[in-house]
Amino acid sequence: MMATAVRDEALVHRYGCHVVLDAEPTALLWRGTTAAVALGDGSVRWIDDGDGTRTVPVHAGAILSACRHPDEDGIVTGGDDGRVCHVSPDGAVVELGHFARKWVEHLVASPASGLIVAGVGKEVIAWTRGATAPSHRYAVAATVGGLALDGKGKRLGVAHYGGATLLYGTNSGSGRIALAWVGSHLACTMSPDGRYLLTALQETGLHGWQLPELRDMRMSGYAAKTRSFSWDRKGRWLATSGDAQAILWPFEGETGPMGKPPLMLAERKGTLVTQVAFHPKDDMLAVGYSDGVIVLARLADQHVLRVDNVDAYVTVLGWNDAGTRLGWGGEDGRIGILDMDARA
Amino acid sequence: MSTIPVTVLTGYLGAGKTTLLNRILSENHGRKYAVIVNEFGEIGIDNDLIVDADEEVFEMSNGCICCTVRGDLIRIIEGLMKRKDGFDAIIIETTGLADPAPVAQTFFVDDDVRARASLDAIVTVVDTRHVLARLEDSHEAEEQIAFADVILLNKTDLVTEQALEEVRQRVRAINGQARRHETQNCVVPLEEVLERGAFDLDRILEIEPNFLSEDDHEHDDAITSVSLHADAPIRPELFMPWLRNLTAEQGQDILRLKGVLSFPGEEERYVVQGVHMLLDGNHQRPWKPDEARVSRMVFIGRNLDPVALRAGFDACAARAA
Repeated sequence: MMATAVRDEALVHRYGCHVVLDAEPTALLWRGTTAAVALGDGSVRWIDDGDGTRTVPVHAGAILSACRHPDEDGIVTGGDDGRVCHVSPDGAVVELGHFARKWVEHLVASPASGLIVAGVGKEVIAWTRGATAPSHRYAVAATVGGLALDGKGKRLGVAHYGGATLLYGTNSGSGRIALAWVGSHLACTMSPDGRYLLTALQETGLHGWQLPELRDMRMSGYAAKTRSFSWDRKGRWLATSGDAQAILWPFEGETGPMGKPPLMLAERKGTLVTQVAFHPKDDMLAVGYSDGVIVLARLADQHVLRVDNVDAYVTVLGWNDAGTRLGWGGEDGRIGILDMDARA
Repeated sequence: MSTIPVTVLTGYLGAGKTTLLNRILSENHGRKYAVIVNEFGEIGIDNDLIVDADEEVFEMSNGCICCTVRGDLIRIIEGLMKRKDGFDAIIIETTGLADPAPVAQTFFVDDDVRARASLDAIVTVVDTRHVLARLEDSHEAEEQIAFADVILLNKTDLVTEQALEEVRQRVRAINGQARRHETQNCVVPLEEVLERGAFDLDRILEIEPNFLSEDDHEHDDAITSVSLHADAPIRPELFMPWLRNLTAEQGQDILRLKGVLSFPGEEERYVVQGVHMLLDGNHQRPWKPDEARVSRMVFIGRNLDPVALRAGFDACAARAA
């Protein structure tokens, strides 16, 4: 019998691998060339190079949020069991907080400041460097929709219904700046230089504030909610999900994207871009779609390379720091890993 | 991917929502439920998966004041779906003072919720002893009845037959198309309450034809139902603009609408449903060979003008030239 024809030229078949898990991935984070995948069954799966995997049960329900630990030792996870846990690659699990009958839906951390911040209902909980119990907390008017830290890890943006709140997350008595704008504000991101806070709106589109002037910006035209943001390594571009193409806003110059058209990359009609991730060292964007396709798109010439066809809504996508590994995963629990060294 | 059915339990304070919820959870052993309760809700619900909701009602930024959604439900349903295989259906218990519109509208407005979950039925528990007084002083009590797909007239053992008849008539005047059950301690076969597919609208063809003949106009502000039907096929090029204009102009007064329509030359039934100004329609299934191709619509709301609605609907029907 003849060999089955290769369905496509997807790079993963030549330079990568798949790992099939039996739960939905809710976060994929790298530590060197080891990936940590947080799952809907409450466990964390460590995937080493050469696809050896280890499973660590952490939460009773689903892991709803995760970020890298600021000390670069493992990851921090938040679950629908109300717990925040530090999970080390050796399998150790340390509980950092427990919020009874609450969901921990948002987590961010900064290696620069050592801060870990969680969004738990209408509260923002902060752990200062090295703390294994909450250091301080802030209440906001409505449930936290998203959290973002600037490059120094001090300025904290909190998105919620009716706008956003700016704080200094390392300061327990921080003053606040209220950023009011109608609507329900969800995922958010702050430019590494702290000049811009952008939020995704329930009714699609982005709202932005230029700081410290607090000038409002609106970016509309998206087909769906934006859930994924990625800044390029120089802070010049912000890539966003939520349309049939990746939408990249220019942030060079005094006024950022105001009055400028976005760059649109890697359009695939009839699908939605669900995840975006800039390569940490190149002008290249990884894009994941609602139909499971993964591509690499080069900014210079908009050339697009097919990486994978997963057949399931892409929920996670990310590069390791060196830019030598790309990891992704779909709702069906299949994880893909592309080894860029192998391509070279 | 099939969607997870969602049952919404409403009812004024003390009507028996928690009794019904516990009955469902204890009796229906074959199914696993995720239960969403409000954070001030009664305790003593025995289920593995209970989520506290905080009933955050958000206005949509499109400027329409009746377009409100439950922001917390969007988040919770999305979060629950990450568990996969953890449950078969979702039950949402609202507070006694809740307006059902934001809950229902959440299932129209948010694409991600629509992709994963579908509103199966709104079940309203009515305390027959107190409902007439509540209808006098509470806007919400009336809306809860108006929005219902299934109504439990509960605590019938605590009222006289004459009082019960008064309740029946009043409830029927508000919402003539919901399926009604008379219960004590919410004892009702669960298949009458759960996974009814009430929003699939099949039942619309079973509507009692005469409920509008009762001329119940003692309450100026009262919610009423208007039922329409047409034997001739409905022309979509007339019907769609008519319905859009109607809901744009009178959406604040129209609490719910449902329709099953026969379009000329189409083999499939077209179903439409709406809450206030939000509309959703699609081809549902082929007409059965023995099924009469009759188009029907039901409107439930305030200040409805049956004559104008009927004239508007009739004008959409195709007539032989």
